[in-house]
Amino acid sequence: MVDHKKNIKICLASSAGGHLTQLLKLDECWSGHQIFFITTSNIVSDKLSNIAKVYVTGECNRNHPVLLLKALIRCTKAVWKEKPDVVISTGAATGCIACFLGKCLGAKVIWLDSITNVDHLSMSGRLTRHIANLFLVQWPKLAQKYKNVEYMGAVI
Amino acid sequence: MIFLTVGSQFGFERLVKSIDEIVADGEIEDDIYGQIGLSSYTPSNFKATSTLDKNLFDQYLSKASHVIGHAGMGTIITALDLNKPLLVMPRLHAYREVVNDHQVFIAREFEQMGHILVAYNENELAVKINELKYFSPKPRSSKTKAVTDRIIKFLNIIDA
Repeated sequence: MVDHKKNIKICLASSAGGHLTQLLKLDECWSGHQIFFITTSNIVSDKLSNIAKVYVTGECNRNHPVLLLKALIRCTKAVWKEKPDVVISTGAATGCIACFLGKCLGAKVIWLDSITNVDHLSMSGRLTRHIANLFLVQWPKLAQKYKNVEYMGAVI
Repeated sequence: MIFLTVGSQFGFERLVKSIDEIVADGEIEDDIYGQIGLSSYTPSNFKATSTLDKNLFDQYLSKASHVIGHAGMGTIITALDLNKPLLVMPRLHAYREVVNDHQVFIAREFEQMGHILVAYNENELAVKINELKYFSPKPRSSKTKAVTDRIIKFLNIIDA
């Protein structure tokens, strides 16, 4: 039997907190592949570093341009160094940045919009939707509302 | 023990202060331990810390009989996973507690499904804390497998 599974390098990018909790629910997906994390806080990096290498970008959101720039620089260094084949993210801003950077280097992008977005996509999700190869949502009404978006269920 | 948590990012003074006052009024008998974030308010009537690493957070959550928190997804997911009765108070954009009111929407959805209790403002807290004693969260079945199967299918295509 031919084993189709080639070892690919996957970047797992997510803000600490609920976004990361949702991302980690998907761990079956990266079993057998190389992974590294990009996240926003040292608080979670201890737990994650038991699993794989962790790059911390610092907290950032759209209201803090300086923090966003800092995160962009750190994210760029991480993605440039690791050159992932795939980026999987649940958001938020840092996840979005990692997806765009990965895409620039030829990576495939998989996005799972956070379950917190009930009536409409997150802003990071709306941006990433244009470059994602696979875009998943966790409420069925969102798959009806937006094109190229799939609903398979919620991870919690 | 009641575990109070406001999430890993910011303080939530409105919730912490209200709980502190409710404890001072003698309306909560249980011990409370709080993870209160970077808070400008320090409670006088229960023990609290600003941050907990994930492992310690999980430990306190496991030991707790009931949980009170902000309506953050991390809090909700981990409480549901451990089947802990959870009361949330959503952070509000009007008080600059959060970037938008998504916590209100998510709290409402999960409340309607019977998974959590919600106090939409601090005036509702005392009553809801009383209800929390008798609250059994409805278990939630997730579709994680369907989501991971879809992603694995995609990864296998790019593998080939």
